[in-house]
Amino acid sequence: MSARRRRWISALVVAAVGAALASAVVASSFDDGSSLTAAIDEAPLVRVADIEADEGAPALGVYTQLTDTGHVCVWEAVSAASRQRGGGCNTVDDPLNGQPVSFTLSYDGGPAPVDVRSATVFGLALSEVAGVRILMSDGSWRAVKLKKARVGADEFKAFGYRFRKSDLKSGNGPVAVVAFAASGAEIGRQTTGIG
Amino acid sequence: MRRFAIAVAVLASLLISSTALAAYQYAPPRQWSPGASAGSTYSPNWLANYFMTYGSGYDKTVTFIRNTNYGWYNTKRGTADYLETYAPFDGTYKAHCVAHAWFWGSCNVR
Repeated sequence: MSARRRRWISALVVAAVGAALASAVVASSFDDGSSLTAAIDEAPLVRVADIEADEGAPALGVYTQLTDTGHVCVWEAVSAASRQRGGGCNTVDDPLNGQPVSFTLSYDGGPAPVDVRSATVFGLALSEVAGVRILMSDGSWRAVKLKKARVGADEFKAFGYRFRKSDLKSGNGPVAVVAFAASGAEIGRQTTGIG
Repeated sequence: MRRFAIAVAVLASLLISSTALAAYQYAPPRQWSPGASAGSTYSPNWLANYFMTYGSGYDKTVTFIRNTNYGWYNTKRGTADYLETYAPFDGTYKAHCVAHAWFWGSCNVR
């Protein structure tokens, strides 16, 4: 191979690699959540509430996590060590999305509500919330136990609730999670989008 | 010149592979509308599926869909900025995400 041809090939390789490098840098500059997922893998989990076992579904814990990326995460899992967990994270300056109560709805089966085999709801409420109840599609209510939970310097109340099989079988789904003050007045309501 | 080209190629391949390993973005950042959805390819090796939004309080769902019965598994629905679920141990699944509001965000699986 001539020296001139080698120079051309080398220049082409450098140009192609440069283009690949530039595209990789641009792609990595978009926030795809990978920095948060790495932080989630590192930060310790604290168990703040329990979800009872029911007819083959295992007992679960509700866990909070404060990451070094400045996020408060709330997970549902069998144990703190389990990577089999689901939930969500918000920034530490707005951990409840500006609401008195924030939750994740978790279920297996579906997407049609009648095909759902098991379902839970878990989340956090502001410390001044005295009670949280779930409004069902038949108009009945389900009471939820609240437990004090500290995340970093902030106080919250944590909760986890497993829906009854009888509710699921009859298509009685959760419509909204409602927060109440000590006076009994409703102070916040967040719909589930189903039920 | 050749050594320089090889060094640059190695560096580039490391950078590209580390970017690719972080997550597979099956729905790149875009504007979502209520009812809009996206899905990854089917694989027995997915670990977790997450929907990341820019801004908070937007209703969305992440789940895994099995290739045999097309049922939904480990579904999570909520308004957290970052909503994640995990893949079941057995079987072949695709990651699936659904928007229930207008927002900007992306869906990723790893």
